[in-house]
Amino acid sequence: MKKKIVLALFVSITLFGLTACGKLDVVGEQSEKSYEAILTSMQSRVSADDSNGGWSLQSPDDEARFVWTKDFNKTTTDVMLEVAAQPFIDAGLDVTKLPEGMVVGDKIIIGTDLGDENVTYVGEASPLDSYKKLVKNYRDSISYHQALDHYGVKLGNGNMFEWAKDMKTNDKDIVFVLNPQPFIDAGVDPSALESWVFAKVETMDDSGKKIEVDKFLKPFDVES
Amino acid sequence: MNKETIKIGGMTCAACSQRVEKAIAKLEGISKVSVNLATEKASVEYDPQVIRVSAIKDCVIKTGYQVLASDKNATDEDRIRKQKEIKTLWTKFIIATAFGIPLLYFAMVPMLSWWPFPIPKSLNPMLYPLRFALLQISLVIPIIIAGYKFYTVGFKALIQRSPNMDSLVAIGTTSAILFSLYNTYRIIQGDFGAVEKLYYETAGVIIALILLGKSLEAVSKGKTSEAIKKLMGLAPKTATVISNGKEIELPIEDVEIGDIILVRPGEKIPVDGVVLEGNTSIDEAMLTGESMPVDKKTGDKVFAASINKNGMIKFKATKVGSDTALAQIIKLVEDAQGSKAPIAQMADIVSGYFVPVVCILALIAFLAWFLTGQSLAFSLTIFISVLVIACPCALGLATPTAIMVGTGKGAENGILIKGGEALETAHKITAIVFDKTGTITEGKPEVTNIITVEGVERDLLLRIAASGEKGSEHPLGEAIVRGAQKENMEFLPVEAFEAIPGHGIEVTIDKTKVLIGNKKLMDQQNISLSELKDKSDQLAQEGKTPMYVAMDGRLSGIIAVADVVKESSAKAIKKLQSMGIEVAMITGDNRKTAEAIAKQVGIDRVLADVLPQDKSNEVKKLQAEGKKVCMVGDGINDAPALVQADIGIAIGSGTDVAMESADIVLMRSDLMDVPTAIHLSKSTIRNIKQNLFWAFGYNVAGIPIAAGILYLFGGPLLNPIFAAAAMAFSSVSVVTNALRLKGFKAYK
Repeated sequence: MKKKIVLALFVSITLFGLTACGKLDVVGEQSEKSYEAILTSMQSRVSADDSNGGWSLQSPDDEARFVWTKDFNKTTTDVMLEVAAQPFIDAGLDVTKLPEGMVVGDKIIIGTDLGDENVTYVGEASPLDSYKKLVKNYRDSISYHQALDHYGVKLGNGNMFEWAKDMKTNDKDIVFVLNPQPFIDAGVDPSALESWVFAKVETMDDSGKKIEVDKFLKPFDVES
Repeated sequence: MNKETIKIGGMTCAACSQRVEKAIAKLEGISKVSVNLATEKASVEYDPQVIRVSAIKDCVIKTGYQVLASDKNATDEDRIRKQKEIKTLWTKFIIATAFGIPLLYFAMVPMLSWWPFPIPKSLNPMLYPLRFALLQISLVIPIIIAGYKFYTVGFKALIQRSPNMDSLVAIGTTSAILFSLYNTYRIIQGDFGAVEKLYYETAGVIIALILLGKSLEAVSKGKTSEAIKKLMGLAPKTATVISNGKEIELPIEDVEIGDIILVRPGEKIPVDGVVLEGNTSIDEAMLTGESMPVDKKTGDKVFAASINKNGMIKFKATKVGSDTALAQIIKLVEDAQGSKAPIAQMADIVSGYFVPVVCILALIAFLAWFLTGQSLAFSLTIFISVLVIACPCALGLATPTAIMVGTGKGAENGILIKGGEALETAHKITAIVFDKTGTITEGKPEVTNIITVEGVERDLLLRIAASGEKGSEHPLGEAIVRGAQKENMEFLPVEAFEAIPGHGIEVTIDKTKVLIGNKKLMDQQNISLSELKDKSDQLAQEGKTPMYVAMDGRLSGIIAVADVVKESSAKAIKKLQSMGIEVAMITGDNRKTAEAIAKQVGIDRVLADVLPQDKSNEVKKLQAEGKKVCMVGDGINDAPALVQADIGIAIGSGTDVAMESADIVLMRSDLMDVPTAIHLSKSTIRNIKQNLFWAFGYNVAGIPIAAGILYLFGGPLLNPIFAAAAMAFSSVSVVTNALRLKGFKAYK
């Protein structure tokens, strides 16, 4: 019995050790592959964004884009969404009620500074390489959203940029996700908001608990 | 046919005991076999010419169980083994719980939005699903190791096409683990949604809960056999033997018949014997349940394990080892606890088919849900729940635990019930027949009147009668002998002696043919009683037994003998009548005497003038009236009636033959133990019925719920974890209910 217990503990500790090892990070690894598929599929909409020190992925309707940094050390906003403000204004948004700096011209900017990690590239940096640096250095900001079978980059305060794990089987290949509460507080009537979907989404909070929350979603089926 | 009791280890449920029983029964040369789950013993009757005990033991081992040592020295080993078993079970449970709690926590917290404590971000299933799965695997492995016996025993039984409770647990938890491993593989392959289909915690918690149930069950089962342990613990380990004038302390095993043993005040009597020197009082409560010490003098019997209170005595060993009264009681109680009551047969039959039927039901439920569109995970949950909830261990424990506690409680009160069948039958009794002499009465009659015909001297009549009865063992004869001894009479030599059962004796003294006996004897010999008829009738009406003495074919006189009614007789009879039982008295005495005694104790139905050989016929007559008859007696002449009756109760002051023939032996002569025995039987059978009701009811209700019948109508779905908890609770509740019998109170 004692031998069996010792053996069991050994196996358990080994497995536990493996779980702590980054090599078992299947979400991080798989997200890179599917992000690559998105970038390939939307090649014409991916561009360098020198003003923000990173890369930009433009939505098919040109009303939103996702920006991710090349070097965390050189940018103060490492990942961000930039969306057109007009639909929100049309739906009742009083821009003065949004936090300062959130509205720049006709755009709404939502982003976060993940950290100041200095990154180096072998050769020329590519959009995918920069995403891989994001996964490598700030893995906690990447998650899997089971309800939509999406990966996502957390932008803080419930805002996300999500993309399909498998574009072939998903009709929402990329989704811009906004926390609706600040907009509602600033006067937006969700039912009057054009080109965004107001919906309840099941997700998991940072403490690992399942929750159902309201979101503004802007999904695109890129494959078709 | 020989009888053998084999101690078996490793049986976990009714299906196990059924399996062993069937396997042994199939052997050639076996005439009877009964395997008791609670005592873990197989009682086997076999033909030694056809089969050896070793072959029976081999069969047990081949069936997948262990044969444990069962010799008389194994009692301590058995106790140590049981304690070790309980300790091991607790250790396993603690291991399973230590890993099961974090496993359950990590698995369940993502589903509990109200729970205030988070799981670490590094284990968030949506961020790190493989870590989350591997963590659960690392936590479930020690639990599986702790419960490995479920798998080794369960799958072995399954392979041998005789699945048991362990098979159900093994199939259920293995299904959960295999399904979870498959989903872990899917996670590795990138299907992260599979993280929601991990059931490691189901398997882990099921094992932990069943180990908890087993631990509690083992502790409770230990308590059910406390009575026998108490009895076994009574015997002293050593004896002070006088050898060549010296005191030597010897181990009890080395004491031999004929050894002279010294016992000081406060010490226990080591073996059975007869007092040679000294006077004392001895506490024989272990034998009789009677707390008042009994005075002992030279010539009196002493019994092993009784306590010498105040005097030092020397006694000669007459019975040692397994022949002592204590050893006999222990054997009797052990045999009773190992026996099965007829009511257990139903549970046995059901248990035999139960596990395979449950496996089929689980499979049907799984397929039904899966084929009607439910997911594999949902259908598997149903499958596991049905398997886990339907364990028949409660069914297997329902009867034997109650019998163990019931018979043990009886032994504590000086009521030795010889088997489950006796225990069960006793509660159905509708009529009780009491023997008179020595049962209702003290059995030590005294001479009260001596009446002679003209010309015969009183002293001569007594002297002749006493001389004749000197060779008789009849209580009435002994009374006449004692009467003469009191008057310091010298006995005359007896030239010829003949006992005429049920009538009296015929002797020749000084060439005179003397007849001493009842009216029947005189009628048979055509001796007229008319001269003393009035006197005789008067004596009989007073409850006295007239013993006629005739010399040379002529009535010489009457010696009246009266027995004292026991203090408890009237109360016991009243109690039995209040229980709705018809009470009768049977005696060889004449009707008038019998009726006088019956009147004193409140008995209406008197069977008088009954010859010993006719007592069983009287019992038969009552049975023919549709009554369940109990016979209570003490003498050799009662033995056939004790056997004929549905229940024979022998009182402890009686003969070995009577006790051998009886189903229940009362160690005391207190008749209140008769209603107590019946009350105990009723309480035990009621307890068994309650246990069976819960065990059956639990399965009848549990299986459909587990199969999703409530869910079908919009109700909840039973989680396999709750099924495991319910299963563990069912066994514990059955044993706990049986333990309630420990609170049984004897009638006083």
